[in-house]
Amino acid sequence: MKLDWWTLGLQAVNVLILVWLLQRFFWRPVAAMIATRKDAAQAMLADAKSSQDKAAAALAEIEQTRAGFAAEREKILADARDAADAAGEAAMNDARAKADKLRKAAEARLAADKVAAEKQMADQAASLAVDIAEKLAGRLKGPEISAAFLSWLTDAIKAMPDDEKTAALADGKGLRLVSAEALTAAQKTRANAAVAEALGGKPALSFDTDAALIAGLELRGAHFTLRNSWQADLARIREDLHHGG
Amino acid sequence: MMSSPLQSTPLFMIGPVPVTDAVLVTWVIMAVLVLGAWLMSRRLSLRPSARQAALELLVDTVDGQIRATTGASPEPFRAFIGTLFIYILIANWSSLIPGVEAPTAQLETDAGLAVLVFLSVIWFGTRGLGLAGYLRSFAAPNPVMIPLNILESITRTFSMFVRLFGNVMSGGFVIAIVASLAGLFVPIPLMALELLTGLVQAYIFAILAIVFIAATVEDGKPAKGEPTADTPDQRT
Repeated sequence: MKLDWWTLGLQAVNVLILVWLLQRFFWRPVAAMIATRKDAAQAMLADAKSSQDKAAAALAEIEQTRAGFAAEREKILADARDAADAAGEAAMNDARAKADKLRKAAEARLAADKVAAEKQMADQAASLAVDIAEKLAGRLKGPEISAAFLSWLTDAIKAMPDDEKTAALADGKGLRLVSAEALTAAQKTRANAAVAEALGGKPALSFDTDAALIAGLELRGAHFTLRNSWQADLARIREDLHHGG
Repeated sequence: MMSSPLQSTPLFMIGPVPVTDAVLVTWVIMAVLVLGAWLMSRRLSLRPSARQAALELLVDTVDGQIRATTGASPEPFRAFIGTLFIYILIANWSSLIPGVEAPTAQLETDAGLAVLVFLSVIWFGTRGLGLAGYLRSFAAPNPVMIPLNILESITRTFSMFVRLFGNVMSGGFVIAIVASLAGLFVPIPLMALELLTGLVQAYIFAILAIVFIAATVEDGKPAKGEPTADTPDQRT
């Protein structure tokens, strides 16, 4: 057995060269590609994890937003209910106020109508009463009535101020003593004397009649009239009733 | 008739250097491997083809074996161990080509490979542990073992190439004898068996190489609490 050292050395060198060449053209590129693919896979996994996390976060956000929508919907419904209740209450109050106002206006109008009706009825009753009194007073005639009216007339003349009495006496046209019915001579004489006494002088007195007086005795001058008759009294009563009613 | 496996006959001479059949076949294997590696690895992409997946499977398998044996990163050992495995495998299987004798059936080739393993143990040991760390690996588990460890580092290398040489040479020899005695198709089962033998022997040689390297690196590591100033590079 003989070992060929040249061949041994050549084979060792050959294998060393092969190691170097394969390291350059095979082991290193393929290992680098494996590492690159592992890194890419890791990056893809990381991206996928990141995307998953983002999706989970987006989902959570959507859930939160959806919950917010529900809460907001409940709030809007509650607000709408409150607003509707408030609007209904306001409308009810408004309607109640308007109804009260209408009711009060109607009551006031009814009261006014009632007052007006009462007043009208009072006026009619007064007129009727006066008419009745007028008719009744028309029956009260006679010497006693005439004497009473003459007495009331003299009292009224006496109650006149002195300057008016003087003016009445100085009236050039004279004074007229008006009665409902023509006076008898005796009545005229008593009336003339009573008037002269009341005036404190002898006036130019003439006599006249006016059926509208019903009964009574009135002294009429150019500038004044002393009303003293049932007509005047009834007119005054009618006036008082109208104003007082 | 086959020539003696213990004798290498030069085909031609390059100056004083005889070029034998084993060297020539090795060059052809080198050319095929390098050209094939270049062709197959020049278009690698992130979306691997079936060819690229096969290449990555091979690299990943080698890495897995190295990692399982050393427990360290396979990157420093990948090229050496992987190339040993592929070269020995192709060299073993080359005997199945008619007229070609496996380079590993020649004693010089196996001896050269064993010498490379011996030197690689020194290289990786000093690279990973420093010179002192590598020398300390001979004192494991205690200094009494230094002579035996030195002897073992030589004998285990010797046993590696003898084992490889004996298996490959004997396989080829048996096939040649059977073929010469029984005819053309009778040795086919033996040739199939030779495929398996070639694969197993390549695997054993590569695994033993990484085991020797790993054992040296492991033995040279300082015990716990021991200073590590003499171990500048701990990459392995």
